[in-house]
Amino acid sequence: MKRLLLTLGLVALVAISAACSSTAAEPVPSGPIDPNGPTIVAKNLAFTTTTVEIAAGKNVTLHFDNQDSAPHNVAIYQDSSASKKISVGQIITSAKSDQVVPALAAGTYFFRCDVHTNMTGTIVVK
Amino acid sequence: MTSRSSLRPVDVILRIAIVGLVLGTAYIHSTLGGLLFTLNATGYVVAAIAIIVPLGLAIRFRWVIRLGLMGYAATAIVAWAVQGPYYSTAYIAKAIEVVLITLLAIDFARMDGNPVNVVKSELALLTSKLGRRAATGPAGA
Repeated sequence: MKRLLLTLGLVALVAISAACSSTAAEPVPSGPIDPNGPTIVAKNLAFTTTTVEIAAGKNVTLHFDNQDSAPHNVAIYQDSSASKKISVGQIITSAKSDQVVPALAAGTYFFRCDVHTNMTGTIVVK
Repeated sequence: MTSRSSLRPVDVILRIAIVGLVLGTAYIHSTLGGLLFTLNATGYVVAAIAIIVPLGLAIRFRWVIRLGLMGYAATAIVAWAVQGPYYSTAYIAKAIEVVLITLLAIDFARMDGNPVNVVKSELALLTSKLGRRAATGPAGA
């Protein structure tokens, strides 16, 4: 029984350590807020806007409006593998938030809700 | 099997705490929306009922329910560690699940004893039943 408890404790410790180390690597959005930036709305467990165009080479403020009672965020990644984070917004419930996305090179990027990973979209940087 | 069916006051407190924690994590998952979280919450509610329901079958196989719930919670923790998301509500849910697994392990030890011995004796019982059935042959043959 002691061995079982020890094993379960170790599993929990490893899981929580892995989670904490991932949190530390999240990029922190910063910079002045631009009220004219694009808006992404989350409603009925989906993004109403699945393609967002932004300008290349400058910081952009992304306005996020979560109209659901479920928690959502906008997390931008290099591509759909979601392995390289670019900008991770705060997870909010029934609220709005602003997220400063760092200057990006022209190209196509992937965004999703980190809670509901089936909620996805594309950011086109021109 | 050395399972004990009578409950002492400590066992009752332990069982209430387990049900409370199960319903707590079920509630958190139910607020997240989406099919996966809803199914997870439903699974926890079913487990909360199974761990206390006074039905003969449930009492007989309470050890399976305890082990199953421990595995269920452990799977939820590992899946979260792999997939995320890492934010305050998730940390609360996972902390609840860690405490839940610990209390279930204590409950198991108090009511059933060593899990390896329980599984061994259950397998021996099953094997002897199957052996007896095979020796008797199918009815009407």
